[in-house]
Amino acid sequence: MHFFSVVRWIAWKDLLSEYRNRENISSMFFFALNVILIFSFSFSLDPDTLKEIMPGIIWVAFGFTAIIGLGKSFLIEVNNDCMEYFQCLPVPKGAIYLGKFLGNLLFMLTVEVVLFPLFVLFFNLEILDQFLPLLLISTVATIGLSALGTLFSALTVQIRAREVMFPILLLPLSVPIFIGAVEATRGALSGDPFSMYRHWIELLGVFDVIFVVVSFWIFEFILDY
Amino acid sequence: MNAIRGESLSKSFQHYQVLKGVSIEVARGECYALFGPNGAGKTTLLRIFATLHRPSAGSFEIMGMDGRRERTKVRALIYMIGHGSYLYDDLSVKENIQFAIGVRGWNPTDGEIKKALDQVGIGRFARLRSRYLSAGMKKRLSIAKALLIRPKVLFLDEGYASLDERGVEMMNECIRAFTKAGACVLMTTHDRGPTAEVADRVGVLNRSVLREMTVKEMVAADALF
Amino acid sequence: MVATRFIGWLRRYEKWFGITAAVLIAVGLYTALVTSSADYYQGEVVRIMYVHVPFVQTAMFSYFTLFICSIWYLWKREAVVDNACHAAAGLSLFFTAGGLITGSIWGKPTWNAWWVWDPRLTSFAILFLTLIGYLMLRTFLDDKEKGATFCAILAIIGFIDLPIIHFSVEWWRSLHQPLSVSTRGISIASDMMIPLTLMSVGVSILFAYMLMVRTQMLYLEHLLEAKQGRLLSEGAL
Repeated sequence: MHFFSVVRWIAWKDLLSEYRNRENISSMFFFALNVILIFSFSFSLDPDTLKEIMPGIIWVAFGFTAIIGLGKSFLIEVNNDCMEYFQCLPVPKGAIYLGKFLGNLLFMLTVEVVLFPLFVLFFNLEILDQFLPLLLISTVATIGLSALGTLFSALTVQIRAREVMFPILLLPLSVPIFIGAVEATRGALSGDPFSMYRHWIELLGVFDVIFVVVSFWIFEFILDY
Repeated sequence: MNAIRGESLSKSFQHYQVLKGVSIEVARGECYALFGPNGAGKTTLLRIFATLHRPSAGSFEIMGMDGRRERTKVRALIYMIGHGSYLYDDLSVKENIQFAIGVRGWNPTDGEIKKALDQVGIGRFARLRSRYLSAGMKKRLSIAKALLIRPKVLFLDEGYASLDERGVEMMNECIRAFTKAGACVLMTTHDRGPTAEVADRVGVLNRSVLREMTVKEMVAADALF
Repeated sequence: MVATRFIGWLRRYEKWFGITAAVLIAVGLYTALVTSSADYYQGEVVRIMYVHVPFVQTAMFSYFTLFICSIWYLWKREAVVDNACHAAAGLSLFFTAGGLITGSIWGKPTWNAWWVWDPRLTSFAILFLTLIGYLMLRTFLDDKEKGATFCAILAIIGFIDLPIIHFSVEWWRSLHQPLSVSTRGISIASDMMIPLTLMSVGVSILFAYMLMVRTQMLYLEHLLEAKQGRLLSEGAL
């Protein structure tokens, strides 16, 4: 179908560009690394405190990653006026949104999967048996974050002071995602049975659906004001 | 039925009214050249027809379809070669073409792409990343895309800018090919010489007054505005 | 033209809104501060409720207005509707800030804390931040129509997000702070009900009045800009 071929072309283009220049993923990764470093100095690292604050550290690091990575997501479209080309395309603009969203989601997840071992390494976490739940939590939370981030990235690249406006618009509205992600991660890290924090994951799933659907619908107006 | 019909179009940006009640008609298979001083609103007029700007007042039709209400249908018929190259720096020339045509719902064969690239004279750069292309080569690439898309209405914003002598000749050949096939070309330009070879009609836009003339008058005039 | 008729309508009726609001608020304040009795538990402190609750209600009402106007703008794309959005956002920020400040003042003596991470407070803080983001976005835009569209989008997303925020904070708080201080409504005596209702209705109508005036102001500014633009493009300035 034409709709999905547009989605595929957009995602293909983003992945191929990223594969060739690695700008986004490397800047996200090294920024998050610095955040982890600063955190390790900022808190006393006795095991009990650590257990308490670890989910927060993880999600603040991921949040910064999102700000760096998703904020840059539409720069590639602005540089050579590709936004105009998209605007003139005879296709539903939601397809373009989905393509960008999928690309961003993949970048974010890649960085997160690489960062988790570093958390284990630096903070002596024991999460091997919790690997699957953590992967699930990250995925579900990142879907929502990417959905909102992609939308606001498309909006802020078209205005002045885009670097400032992107986090200012994104962070307040993504509070529910952070709450859900931190709580679910806390459950997983402290070794609770899955059923104890399952409801947070389900809640995140509901948020994902809402954010993706609303963004998908409203993207038309961002590209074709 | 005219290919392009604009009726008393106005457009203002914030404080500045660029166009005020401009009307224009271009027939099928016709090449219409717009002259005018810088800031006369030639590009704005083109961008309104290309559905990139909404007119502040007035209406327009492309191939008999309302430009405001039937945007998606209009967009399937038009293509604009403007100042933006619509390229992704890290994709090769060929990949850029595949992407640009692919998102319009059509996948040209390698042979077709090669033919189009050869026609505009950049066939040997097909595998070069577009980051390394010069402005003139990017322009040629845009023409190659137009050749593949075969729009019913082609907009050229300063079509000859940054092209060398051969490029200008090649551009004129392409314009002739388009008009011969029944497409309509609306171009803004400052070069009277090459324009005279292809244009059927000429208009001078100055302070929102469109003064139409024949090509002969245009060539003979001391100054157009 | 729609805009002219709309502005004419605003002009004709605005004074009635203003007068009604003034009367209601005057009577409301008198009954609230003088005739109504103090709360059994909270004492005189409870009187801040007569300002706080109307402000909070009006903040939500004004954000709802912003939401409706934003949808209206995306649908019709009338400049005057965008002016109404702009006006509603500014007023919404004003009432939200008022609600937060009065709530904080009320919270100190009753909960012994200026701030608790209660779902309602948190939602309001996020609403406040979103509105600031909204008004900042307005200043950073060059193209007027683009800007109006983007702001409308932000308002709609924010409106959809608010219940989600409220809900998630509620879950989160029930986990961490078992309800030691109940922020659910206190039971209200009947002689408190009258001034509260008067104030609530009065402040809502005050908002409507302010919205009408501010929309006209912004529309006039818009006309002035257009006029200036015309003169500029004719080279008269």
